[in-house]
Amino acid sequence: MSSSSDSSREGESSKWLDAHYDPVAGLNSLSSCIALADLHGDGEYKMVVGDLGSGPYNMKLKVFKGTSLLSENALLDMPTAVVAFLMDQNEPRTPAVAVASGPFIFVYKNLRPYFKFTLPALEVNALEKEVWDQAKEDRIDPLTLKEMLEGIRDKAEIPLSVRSLRFLMLDPQEMDAFVNTYKQVPLKRQTVITCMATLKKNMADEDAVCCLVIGTESGEIFILDPEAFTILTRVSLPSVPTLLDVNGQYDIEYRVTVACRNGNVYILRRDSKRPKYSIELSAQVVGLVRVQKNIIIGTSQETLHGYSQKGKRLWTVTLPASIMTMSLLEHKSRSIQAVLVGLKNLEVHLYRDKNLLSVISTPDIVTSLCFGRYGREDDTLIMTTKGGGLIIKILKRTAQFEEKDTSSGPPIGQSIKLNVPKKTKLYVDQTLRERENAVAMHRVFQMDLYRLRLNAARAYVKALDASLTPVSSTMQEPLTLNAIVQGIGPRFKLILNLQNTSQNRPSMQLLISFLYDERLYQLKPAFFKVPLLVPGLNYPIETFIDCCSDKGISDIIKVFVLKEGKSTPLITAHISMPVSEGLVAA
Amino acid sequence: MGLFDRLASWLGLKKKEVHVLCLGLDNSGKTTIINKLKPANAQTQDIVPTIGFSIEKFKTSSLSFTVFDMSGQGRYRNLWEHYYKEGQAIIFVIDSSDKLRMVVAKEELETLLNHADIKHRRIPILFFANKMDLRDSLSSVKVSQLLCLENIKDKPWHICASDGLKGEGLQEGVDWLQDQIQAMKT
Repeated sequence: MSSSSDSSREGESSKWLDAHYDPVAGLNSLSSCIALADLHGDGEYKMVVGDLGSGPYNMKLKVFKGTSLLSENALLDMPTAVVAFLMDQNEPRTPAVAVASGPFIFVYKNLRPYFKFTLPALEVNALEKEVWDQAKEDRIDPLTLKEMLEGIRDKAEIPLSVRSLRFLMLDPQEMDAFVNTYKQVPLKRQTVITCMATLKKNMADEDAVCCLVIGTESGEIFILDPEAFTILTRVSLPSVPTLLDVNGQYDIEYRVTVACRNGNVYILRRDSKRPKYSIELSAQVVGLVRVQKNIIIGTSQETLHGYSQKGKRLWTVTLPASIMTMSLLEHKSRSIQAVLVGLKNLEVHLYRDKNLLSVISTPDIVTSLCFGRYGREDDTLIMTTKGGGLIIKILKRTAQFEEKDTSSGPPIGQSIKLNVPKKTKLYVDQTLRERENAVAMHRVFQMDLYRLRLNAARAYVKALDASLTPVSSTMQEPLTLNAIVQGIGPRFKLILNLQNTSQNRPSMQLLISFLYDERLYQLKPAFFKVPLLVPGLNYPIETFIDCCSDKGISDIIKVFVLKEGKSTPLITAHISMPVSEGLVAA
Repeated sequence: MGLFDRLASWLGLKKKEVHVLCLGLDNSGKTTIINKLKPANAQTQDIVPTIGFSIEKFKTSSLSFTVFDMSGQGRYRNLWEHYYKEGQAIIFVIDSSDKLRMVVAKEELETLLNHADIKHRRIPILFFANKMDLRDSLSSVKVSQLLCLENIKDKPWHICASDGLKGEGLQEGVDWLQDQIQAMKT
């Protein structure tokens, strides 16, 4: 228990009390897997967490009371959602806990397993069934079975069952055993639950009976009867639902807002067999919360959008980091509704419409958020972190949320001073001189420029005549050459990088020759052929140069690239050899 | 002697009436403690959450206490400050098994101590670390640490562990309170 407030912000420590922080609680959970409920009917609310465990193991349903763990139930499969709901009118009004995992909903009452609901099986492809029936009677061998199933997979509109898909993956030697194990079992196709929420049946009261609303991998929404667990409504969606938000009452009017994997949000109403409105977003939806009549959508592009319930965009806020999770904050006594957004930069932001109300700094990345009555306190915020920690904060009775806009005052750019250089007296004197002698200055400069042009042209023609440049841009042979010398001597390594710069003309029959002082340097092959130069590729050609002088003298070596049959070089490079340090030392 | 003594107390000590505020979070056991301090024939059997506040009276050997038993529910806590002026002593009850809300109790205590009507008066505060009988309850030392009671420098205070159901620890606390009030009067 940490009673000292570690948040540096003065404003935030005046709003939230740090009730509990356990960094090693070992809770790996998501916002959809946390529920708060008065499980024993004693007015003390408990927290039910579907713990995802570490990897595929240790999935547990944990119940917390206050700061301590009350009970643990092992789960068979990964929980996708946990909700607490009232099933019936019986007294005492203790809620049941529904855990969705795989194709099942496990219902717990008094923290004991009570009922298991299984989703109805999907239709099986008739051809597939026939093929498996044949396999059962041993009329076809596994290899033919595989061929036939592949044929069905490619053209059938009803997809194959999990068993057939698994079979198609297997190696030939494993097939026999697989067929023998499973051929007697009837073929069926199951879907799994992806999300779950509750919907009040016919009263809006706190303790009204709730229906379960579930979304499945087959792209359907089911509404289940709370007592009999029969399917009341079944709606098909164009994609797989991932996030659900439900409001209203089943018997009167309700709205189901569903975020799907195709990045769209659909709004269903009572008696509509298909989505009534659709919101198309440019990115994946990571959080969906309804605040009064608006839908707040968090996307993977670090933005928060507000939509009306008819799917019209009202506002957009850009967040400083990517969204980890979102949840609703409902302050009942003061009727404040706002959205809590857990961000990757160790902050939890609280937004009412597009106004940032409060920022909570957390010691770790928050992966799940839940606000509500916990224990005996109405306004409790429960957060679990990426490292498995549990943070509980309590909103102060006296906390005030003032409306303030996120962008306050002029932009920061306005207060930055421009870096304009200063001018001294020297500059002023120079301008005076220019004003007095402008004509003479112009004339002299123009004369000098003529001379410069003449000299430059002369030097250039001279270089062209002697092919001294390391770049040739003639139409026949566009080449570039550069040379690098490595080493400290007496042996140097010379690397010539030769490249053909034409679009599609390879260079052939080129030769390289070196000109050097034979008293100073020794090159083993001082003359060799160049391979065919493919346009665009760089050819490093390496040779070794030995310095044979012991006087520490250096000289220039010239490299010529020549065309076979012509005596004028195409291009030339001059290499200033460094002093051979090896011999100097010796 | 007995008759005279009784007459004297009836005439003289009757005036020594003290107003006490009984504060604390909801479900901490304020009403139960007050009920237990009353004479055996005046005690009620079933205790329900207090709505608003109630006025109770009980007597010790030399003082007559009038207790404002306030409701500790969040929505009634803003009523507390209306009675601060009348209070000559404060009984603050803490549920020592509710670790989660210890910060809330601390917060309410701080607000109480910083209130204009309380801040500059030297009134005794008696803390009851109640529900000592529960298995997961904190000791009175731990409770005083969590509430940072050592920071209260300008008021006499005392914490005692209590069990409101059995009445254990209540007498010790009330005796201390009586001593403090008498010391202040003289």
